[in-house]
Amino acid sequence: MTRRAAPAPRRIAAFAVPSEPGNERLALARVSEVVAGLGLTTARLERLKTAVAEAAMNAIEHGNNNRAEIPVEVEVLQKGTEIVVAISDSGGGPAAAEAAENPDLARKLDGEQSPRGWGLFLIRNMVDAMDVTTEGARHTVTLTMRTGGPEAEGAGHDEHV
Amino acid sequence: MTSTCEARTRAIGAAAIIELTGEVDGSAAEVLTTAYADAVSVGEARTVVLDFAAVDYINSTGIALIVSVLAKARAERRQIVACGLSAHYREIFDITRLSDFIELFPDLDDAVSQLAAAGA
Repeated sequence: MTRRAAPAPRRIAAFAVPSEPGNERLALARVSEVVAGLGLTTARLERLKTAVAEAAMNAIEHGNNNRAEIPVEVEVLQKGTEIVVAISDSGGGPAAAEAAENPDLARKLDGEQSPRGWGLFLIRNMVDAMDVTTEGARHTVTLTMRTGGPEAEGAGHDEHV
Repeated sequence: MTSTCEARTRAIGAAAIIELTGEVDGSAAEVLTTAYADAVSVGEARTVVLDFAAVDYINSTGIALIVSVLAKARAERRQIVACGLSAHYREIFDITRLSDFIELFPDLDDAVSQLAAAGA
């Protein structure tokens, strides 16, 4: 039995945005631009954009506490049929996973839960995989999205196009 | 933070329409709250239609604002419906279960005609 070696990851982009409210839109726009043409359908690209925006917003608000001088770093890799986006903060705030509460809309409408708290829930539901790693004060949220083919199309939620 | 969200309110029959433009994120809180108050201040307004046709971005804090408006409307026994959502944001309304509480219509004309037919 022969095994093929996994293709070496290819770095597509690496950039940083200042931790200021609203700058998640810069991260979203840049990631959208660099993954264009890599095989994501429109619907899956929209999901990735939402996940990137939410992860960047968490990093800006929670990880870096809106301190503009501490950048949110974004790295985009292509690993075979996967697009991987790693979003890192280093401001010493809590990691996204630590701040998360499972949102329950009925409880929110009854006032038993804050109306907020959708970010991590959205990310998990938008991408094929999400991992959170911590090294000292640095948290990295890694988003993975498969490209192309019926397998990728069947992953995650049904298409609503 | 400057809001890029704008809202225009008007009444069509017994429905109050809130036409939103731009980005529905945390900065839209005042715009959305004021628009809801304006919309329900005229007439009966048993139904409030949120028209997202000119909205290009909704994030998690925007979802939270919509939850707050929905909670307020339910407490006042008003119905909230939505129209003009893209396929992507319809999916987000589905996975957050907002679409269990907010009936979705493809566009404003469809929402208004179906509400009128239902006597709303």
